[in-house]
Amino acid sequence: MNIRTIAITAAALGVLGYLVYRSEDATTRKPVANKVTVLYWEKWTGDEAQKMRRIVNNFNASQDHIYVKMLSISGVADKTLLAASGGNPPDVAGLWDTQMTQFKDAGALTDLAPLAAEFGIKEEDYIPGYWKLMSPGGTLVAFPTTPASTALHINKKFLKPGEVPPQTLEELDAFTDRISKVKDGKVELAGFMPAEPGWWNWGWGYWFGGKLIDGDKLTINSPENIRAFEWVLSYSKRFGVRETQNFQSGFGNFSSPQNPFMSEKVVSVMQGVWMANFIDLYNKKLPWIAVPFPLPKDQQHLKGMNFIAMDTLVIPTGAKHKREAFEFIAFVQRQDQMELLCSSHGKNSPLVKVTDKFFNTHLNPYIRLFDELARSPNAAYIPQIGIWPQMDSELKNAFTEINLGTKTPKEALDAAQARLDPQWRRYQQQVMGRSITTAEAKP
Amino acid sequence: MKSEARIAYLFAMPWILGFLTFLLYPVMASFFYSFTDFSVLRPPRFIGLENYKEMVQDEVFWMTIRNTFTYVVAAVPLSATVAIILAMLLNTKVKGLAFYRTLFYVPSLVPMVALGILWLWIFNGEHGLLNMSLEKLGMSKPPNWLGDPAWSKVTLVLIAMWGSGNAMVIYLAGLQDIPQSLYEAADLDGARLVAKTRHVTLPMLSPVILFNVIMGMIGALQVFAVPYVMFPNGAPARSTYFFTTYLFDNAFRFQRMGYASAMGWVLFLITLTLTFVALRLSERQVHYDRS
Amino acid sequence: MKEKKFSLATVHIVLIVLSLIFVSPLLWMVTTAIKPIEETMSATPTLLPSKFLWDNFPKAVTYGSKELGYIPFLLYARNTLMVTLLCVAGSVCSNAVVAYAFARLRWPGRDFFFAVTLATMMVPFPVLMVPTFGLFKWLGWVGSFRPLWVPAFFGSAFSIFLLRQFFRTIPMELSEAAKIDGCSEVRIFTDILLPLAKPALAVVALFTFMGTWNDFMGPMIYLSDQETFTLSLGLQAYQSQHGGTQWNLLMAAATVVILPVIVVFFFAQKMFIQGIATSGLKG
Repeated sequence: MNIRTIAITAAALGVLGYLVYRSEDATTRKPVANKVTVLYWEKWTGDEAQKMRRIVNNFNASQDHIYVKMLSISGVADKTLLAASGGNPPDVAGLWDTQMTQFKDAGALTDLAPLAAEFGIKEEDYIPGYWKLMSPGGTLVAFPTTPASTALHINKKFLKPGEVPPQTLEELDAFTDRISKVKDGKVELAGFMPAEPGWWNWGWGYWFGGKLIDGDKLTINSPENIRAFEWVLSYSKRFGVRETQNFQSGFGNFSSPQNPFMSEKVVSVMQGVWMANFIDLYNKKLPWIAVPFPLPKDQQHLKGMNFIAMDTLVIPTGAKHKREAFEFIAFVQRQDQMELLCSSHGKNSPLVKVTDKFFNTHLNPYIRLFDELARSPNAAYIPQIGIWPQMDSELKNAFTEINLGTKTPKEALDAAQARLDPQWRRYQQQVMGRSITTAEAKP
Repeated sequence: MKSEARIAYLFAMPWILGFLTFLLYPVMASFFYSFTDFSVLRPPRFIGLENYKEMVQDEVFWMTIRNTFTYVVAAVPLSATVAIILAMLLNTKVKGLAFYRTLFYVPSLVPMVALGILWLWIFNGEHGLLNMSLEKLGMSKPPNWLGDPAWSKVTLVLIAMWGSGNAMVIYLAGLQDIPQSLYEAADLDGARLVAKTRHVTLPMLSPVILFNVIMGMIGALQVFAVPYVMFPNGAPARSTYFFTTYLFDNAFRFQRMGYASAMGWVLFLITLTLTFVALRLSERQVHYDRS
Repeated sequence: MKEKKFSLATVHIVLIVLSLIFVSPLLWMVTTAIKPIEETMSATPTLLPSKFLWDNFPKAVTYGSKELGYIPFLLYARNTLMVTLLCVAGSVCSNAVVAYAFARLRWPGRDFFFAVTLATMMVPFPVLMVPTFGLFKWLGWVGSFRPLWVPAFFGSAFSIFLLRQFFRTIPMELSEAAKIDGCSEVRIFTDILLPLAKPALAVVALFTFMGTWNDFMGPMIYLSDQETFTLSLGLQAYQSQHGGTQWNLLMAAATVVILPVIVVFFFAQKMFIQGIATSGLKG
């Protein structure tokens, strides 16, 4: 080994050693003096994460014994799952409402009722629909960050002056027939399309009085659901299955100026309260209105029906600083902070009490409508069942098969029911039969 | 002999240690999990062969097997062909080689977060770059790449061929190692390009081809990232629902890690068998320099 | 002579057409980066934007606000570089050494262990995620960079397989001749094999670099501090669930992320060419 080799090797080792030193240094925990550090992992990224950071900063500035450290990362559910499995979950996790029941059944979420009582937070403070989402199976495990409700958004250009927007589903169908343009067999404009955006394809049955679970039974292929999907199929048949597919193939990314609603290919869509944000970003000039999504003539007693959802904050079981974590959550639930957050996200507020300022300064011109819809006793949300991810997967598939014409509505829903029944049975035996009563929130 | 063995163990020590430390436990653990009901959040519970029995009856499992096999059979040979052709083209004395090589390899490194969207854009049925080009070339009804179950897998195969930059680089390095003298001898014999390829290039490249085909097969059997981003839930109608996507869903979305582990070991057995077959079949075709 | 000129020209044409096809997504990414938001993903695709927003690049890199903090892009780049360099160093060193044992030395259990090595690549990753995480948790490495670079120093099945195939193409006579001259295996390795294997080693270094630079899963799972994030995690900062993603900024950021990789590749590929010039095998 000559001098040159030794010199090069030594230099290389030196560089490596330096790199190792730097990487160790970067990750050494520097605890904040005299404060309890609460780890908060949030699924939001981008602007929404930044707006949540403001609330976090407000909290950190408002008191001097807790420091909340926020991590914004999109794979938060997987990361929390892994961390919890390793016994080291974050103190607060910002998850999706679709996972609540599943996580609760697995004993992964702390029962927050005792802490809520201690902090004076009551059920009456919240809009009833959201409270149900917070308490799957009756156990309070989640608090909202931002909620949402949904409505029919219509491109005003296609409404005749003074025309009243569709009030019943049949009127919506007639509107579609009147407005849609088909040239040489090619669809150019559609009044409405159930597949767009397709985020609530699991729920069409609700508009027809159908439900997906009834007590302990899955009712996927109930007559109401089949009727709903017959109605969905009628839209595919309206222009022809092939032509509809070709039309849809030209839809751009949802979150882009080529969104079919924004590029005026589809005149009306069912969308959430956040739609105003997208319109504002991608096509400010679009004239639009929002109205309650219409119900069929014979379901008018379900007036106020719409889909509500929320983003949640939970305290995983095994979190190290539960009490401090809840103190942070309670801060977010304060009316002023909640309104600040929801307003900046362009969403409605989950609290019963709302200030006029919230409505008057809100970006969404139809915020009052969305608020009203959220409060409706007929508002619907995802079934609170532990196998929801599997159900969602099956229903999405059933919807596509119906739209493509490969299965009739009855066949598709029967198939989904047949696949899900054994899975539900197994889940009830394996998971719920031995479910641990969720850990007490001993601070 | 003995001292050669001792030296060999010394040389192999990093991997032996690495294997024992980082791989043995997870692999053994996952094997154990395949016989349990394991939701990740709670301790696993032994249920014997239940997972495997369930798999046999699971029609989505079989669908993903069919989808994955279709993809492998199409993607592996096509990607290999593209990669070899590109490598051969880039092994010539054409000017600007450095630029060409970069242009062929680098696009496959675009981060997935941007790449997924770019592909959805390019394959858009109406105003995607691909269909607009096809229409300009005279095709009246170009395929609905993303929404038609008959075409969705083709889309993924095309993307796989485009992403063969990795393999191309390996073939390039392999081509560099072929002695010029062999080509010169062939030239003296009057051989043309096709003959030279058949009798010099491909045989000399065969260990590398074997490597790429096996790695390509192993990778294709586990295809995950692109379909996961572009076709959530295996849309449309589960035509792009592949084995590892379904496995991932079972593990992390449905919280059935036990079932997912069982699936993983089934895939392992399939891959092992296919690799063994490939190695056996290749014994006659692959030329090593006398080892 | 004429035949040679003609075939070179054909090669040129084929290369140009193919490279346009291959580079089109990349081109699209870069042109989207300089477009105003309304023109991104437009229905009448315009290759060139109406106005060139070159300042999207600095905007992307300084994303954020004074009040709530900027996305520390440079910090992420530094972190990514650190981990990547460590991985490349570890990968080249460990894999070369291990592959030599598999390719050129005889020892009991070699072929069986090689089969086991190959087999480890056949277990799909989601299945190993939980126990691997558990292992790192037990070692106390979660939250640090160690799970990301330490395993690279212990070899990887892919690179071992790759290098083994390459090493086996080098004639055994060279080693045998050296042994007769009295060289030790270590000398054969360093003086004969390594120089000849430069292209293959360059490939391993390149792949490790690329794989680590863009790796998302590893950092996502093991890093717990926003300041320790890598570039692949940082790219998420431009995506929004309900607010509308700023595609031009995202593409601008992605372009910036991929730029070092392009540069590295452009210069690294010279290594492949060098192999043919310096190795004693040719001609």
